[in-house]
Amino acid sequence: MKRGTKKRIKEKNEDRFSCLPDYVLLHILSFFDIKEAIQTCILSTRWKNLWKILPTLTLISSQFATFEAFTKFISKILSLRDASASLDVLDFQCEGRMDPRELKRILTYAISHSVKRLRIDVNFDIQQFLPSLFSCHTLTSLHLSIYESPRPITLFPNSLNLPAVTTLALNGFLFCVGDDGRVDPFSKFDKLDTLMIYGACEVRDNKLNLCISSTTLVNLTIRTNYSAAGGIRFQLYTPNLCTFVYHGHIPFQKLCGINSNLSSIKHVLLDMTIGVGMWSNPKDNPLLLLHLLDELANVESLTISHRTLKVLSLVPYLLEIEFTSLYNLKSLKVDGKFITEGMLYFLLQNAPSAKVILY
Amino acid sequence: MASSSSNLISLKTSDGTVFKVERALAKTMKTVQAIIEEADANIYMIPIHNVFSHHMDMIIDYYKLSVAGKSKEFSVEKLDNDELKDFLLAVHYLNMEDLFEVLTQAVADRLEKKSVGYVRKYFGIENDFTPEEYAAIRKKNDWAFKGDDIEPEEDEEKQEE
Repeated sequence: MKRGTKKRIKEKNEDRFSCLPDYVLLHILSFFDIKEAIQTCILSTRWKNLWKILPTLTLISSQFATFEAFTKFISKILSLRDASASLDVLDFQCEGRMDPRELKRILTYAISHSVKRLRIDVNFDIQQFLPSLFSCHTLTSLHLSIYESPRPITLFPNSLNLPAVTTLALNGFLFCVGDDGRVDPFSKFDKLDTLMIYGACEVRDNKLNLCISSTTLVNLTIRTNYSAAGGIRFQLYTPNLCTFVYHGHIPFQKLCGINSNLSSIKHVLLDMTIGVGMWSNPKDNPLLLLHLLDELANVESLTISHRTLKVLSLVPYLLEIEFTSLYNLKSLKVDGKFITEGMLYFLLQNAPSAKVILY
Repeated sequence: MASSSSNLISLKTSDGTVFKVERALAKTMKTVQAIIEEADANIYMIPIHNVFSHHMDMIIDYYKLSVAGKSKEFSVEKLDNDELKDFLLAVHYLNMEDLFEVLTQAVADRLEKKSVGYVRKYFGIENDFTPEEYAAIRKKNDWAFKGDDIEPEEDEEKQEE
């Protein structure tokens, strides 16, 4: 019996793909829209129950015609999913007020199924769920974004137990003073290497600094709203910080904490503006940018936004100012439209062989 | 020539081409790394089955881009569906974490919003449901199909009689 080559190739293909283990297929499925992932149940008997052990769940309310459809859908998944299959990733983005009991069901499910990476993006209060979230031992990555109003409403808990968390991203949190009289919310994380503070975050008592104390922190991104009242005053105690991205007001005081420095930082992105309402001494404020650059003396790569260049352009007699920083600079990335010769000269005076990239 | 003292590892693809790659690149291939670690003596040449030279070219491209911090510039757009699947199988065999992530995402992108028939063809899946089983599973999971226009099954090979 002779078979055509086309059929032979087709069979070969089928064979090769049928020896792909489930985890590879599941990996591909994890990138699918959740509905499409579940719809693969009709492909073949092998695929019938595959979706039930999908370790990634991305639930986005805007993908559903009505809020009711969204909650019903979630309910179905939770009841039909294989109860013994762990859930590695839960990405929950919900616009609209969800019944707290429904949300509790989803979060309890995730925690009891050893969730590792959790993202919650909502516009309503979830304070009541924080104790269980902040004591979940399986979590390695936690991203919480709560934007109920322009001002933050959620209190970041002072007592937490997240021994495995390496990545933390927060929007909409109020940081409070701890037992030692300081606001130092991240010191209790043993493995934190990446921290992102963005959007509407504030310190409850805004006379106090927000200390970021972590010997394990390597990447820090700060991106707080320009309108945040007063803005957070950060104090870094991060001896191993390597990458620093900072969008916000130029700090009035030194960024590094007492008896600390920022010499470990190698890569920096600065997108700075002068704080509104802090025009007490407008002449001094642009100079504060230079103080910040002094603190970042060791950096090897520096990216500066056009807003930052604007501030730099306000420094009077820039080229006559003694500047000893940025001597390790290997690359400088700036907005080509706003950079001037003078500014370039100023920034590169101690590292003339640094590469300049214009974007 | 022993290669343990040098920083290059020799890999021989299925089509007989020998690639000398940096140790750091070989390290990203867990399968190869395991072979290196298991061998007490110096390894002269490591054969990599199921991997062709055109796969190695792309693997080296990706490696060079990621070392330069430009891994996002790596693209598999020029590969057709079969070539992409083939590449995924090679990377899967070599057990390369990052590239595996990139390729599974690329496969998922190509299958996004495609019909049942298309997906079956892509994976070479045979529909082994009986018509009754198919109807039952479709009904049971109707909640996941709501609002989507899923065509009733059209299978060229099976004749419903």
